[in-house]
Amino acid sequence: MNEGAFKKYGKRTLIYVFLIIMSIISVFPLYWCFISSCNTTQQILGGRMVPSSHLMENLKNLFAQQDVLNAFKNSVINTVLVLVLSLAICSIAGYGFEIFHDKGKDAVMAVIMMSMMVPFVAILVPLFQMFTKMGFVNKYIGYILPSLSTPFLIMLFRNNARTFPKEVLEAARVDGLSEMGIFVRMFVPMMRPTFAAAATITFMNTWNAYLWPKVVLQTPDSITMPMLVANLLSGYVVDYGVVMAGVTICTLPTVIVFFILQRSFTEAVAGAVK
Amino acid sequence: MKKLISLLLALVMVLSLGSAAFAAPGDQADGKLTIWCWDKTFNIAAMEKAKEMYQAEHPDVEIDIEEVLSEDIESRVIASNGDTTTLPDIVLVQDHSIQKFVTNYPEVYHDITDEFDFSDFMPAKLGLSVVDGRNYGIPFDAGTVVAAWRTDYLEEAGYTVDDLTDIDMDRFLEIARDVKEKTGMPMLSGQAGAVDTVLIMLQSCGGSMFNEDGTANIAGNEKLKAVIETYNTMVAEGIFIEVNSWDEYIGTLSNGSVVGTFTGCWILSTIMSLTDQAGKWAVTNMPAMVGVDGATNYSNNGGSSWAIINNKDIDLALDFMQMYRNVDFYNEILPTTSAIACYGPAKEGSNYTAASEFFNGDAVFAKIVEFGDKVPAEVTGPYYYDARGNVGTAVTNALNGGDLDSELQTAQDTTEFTMGF
Repeated sequence: MNEGAFKKYGKRTLIYVFLIIMSIISVFPLYWCFISSCNTTQQILGGRMVPSSHLMENLKNLFAQQDVLNAFKNSVINTVLVLVLSLAICSIAGYGFEIFHDKGKDAVMAVIMMSMMVPFVAILVPLFQMFTKMGFVNKYIGYILPSLSTPFLIMLFRNNARTFPKEVLEAARVDGLSEMGIFVRMFVPMMRPTFAAAATITFMNTWNAYLWPKVVLQTPDSITMPMLVANLLSGYVVDYGVVMAGVTICTLPTVIVFFILQRSFTEAVAGAVK
Repeated sequence: MKKLISLLLALVMVLSLGSAAFAAPGDQADGKLTIWCWDKTFNIAAMEKAKEMYQAEHPDVEIDIEEVLSEDIESRVIASNGDTTTLPDIVLVQDHSIQKFVTNYPEVYHDITDEFDFSDFMPAKLGLSVVDGRNYGIPFDAGTVVAAWRTDYLEEAGYTVDDLTDIDMDRFLEIARDVKEKTGMPMLSGQAGAVDTVLIMLQSCGGSMFNEDGTANIAGNEKLKAVIETYNTMVAEGIFIEVNSWDEYIGTLSNGSVVGTFTGCWILSTIMSLTDQAGKWAVTNMPAMVGVDGATNYSNNGGSSWAIINNKDIDLALDFMQMYRNVDFYNEILPTTSAIACYGPAKEGSNYTAASEFFNGDAVFAKIVEFGDKVPAEVTGPYYYDARGNVGTAVTNALNGGDLDSELQTAQDTTEFTMGF
């Protein structure tokens, strides 16, 4: 093997070793979470890293202690509503800001971007007061409304709309397609990776949301999966096997969605960086 | 295009009908008692029993007990900003949070001083929910400190639990060194920086991080200094091992890697869940500080109280809460919840006086209620958790070689800064 080839393969080996180590670090929490859901509290606290046979027992206890199906159903409904509505709203907004671009809209966009810097905790109290007066507490609308339009998604769609070829836009206009028709028939199909990335981010944020739901969804019937997992940790005596079974059930949908959309997600994020 | 318009119309309908068609089930209805608490095996189970006993006499009263985490209750009170519309009739509050929340949201919590009979409750516990001389909490569980020791480890070193009963810290350190030498076992464990043990020892001699007038009492507090010095000696000699998290602390007990612990009696439910260790544990009082005025073998750590919310059905709530002056109620909840009453007469209940199989026939629960009566009262305040965090930093820095006096001065300054002096 000559020196050049050695350098090439040596470098590649180093990269692979680094990537393998990083992959193990990334995957380990998921592995530990699943393994722990198969173990008892004592085995978990004792640091056992291989599964034993307590998965069914933990699941049985989890379903006996908490209404998992109801929480799961609530999480699914909330997430699907937010996902569909926010993608529709933010994609149109991002498209509009880029395609019908002028100085006034730039100023509005700047204001929207600035709102990203305001932490949610700062608006929590006034928002809750407003929703109480509007009768939105304990309702799905109370949960989804503040999440529908997010500056990040508008920015993502706006940035990706820059790659939308002007020739296509002009050709469509010449052919007599309406502005809305161009958005639906031209922009949406071409921006599929952006939609996939936005869907992944929105899904994860909504599914894992904790602060707002725990304030606005106050009845036991309306709790979501992250709230259910938090409830499992509340006692003086915590059954960690049951907690980890809850965490596993709570994590699985996010993992599945990410795996389904991962290629498009990577493309869109890489595109945004370019 | 038509499809898009239909889609948008559908979206608008979803939004506008949201409040009606998408109303989540279980909206709060008027005319019933709603209670928020957070532990299914503990305070929720106790409230379920109270509900069952109350409804036996008042079948028309509807009582909803909802599981809401302690921090979630606090978040919701903060978000309500004094408007009690969305709050329930009764909430459970951590003892050291009551003063802060009553001070910040006085319009939320109902002053029950003249409407509830507080006689026969543990005096040390009652003081925690008093703000400006007015009472805002009905005591629930006691955090009376117990020292729980593994008798098998003690025997190995030639001691019994009697050798650790009614002793002072000098004798405790002597025994601890001997046990460590003979068995290699540390006596105690605890979470680093959490200062539970320091504050337990501080209260055992009637000390506090605050003066009666509410000002911080950290720098120049001789009791606190003596306690931290004792604590640091235990850590330095390996008698007390510091672990990184609460889970690790529980792990040291379940794995049998320490001889025991002294903390709030709620730890007994964890210890009693270790069925493979039945018969190997004994309960006694904690060691008293040496050379400090007012030193006792008794203290308190944790616990919670029930608060009644304003602008709700207060009369009904108060009538229901009379259950917490009922000996039979405490007797009924003890076997299932291990919740130790703060109500003195409860110790006469048959379950309190019954011998515990787990503890080799010792009537531990009656013993704990007796301990509770001897706990020195603690001066606390709205800034308890701030002061606690600052003292924790001082303890850690002193352990790492810092000068204790100057560390305590820093803790005092930081606490005063938070208090806005």
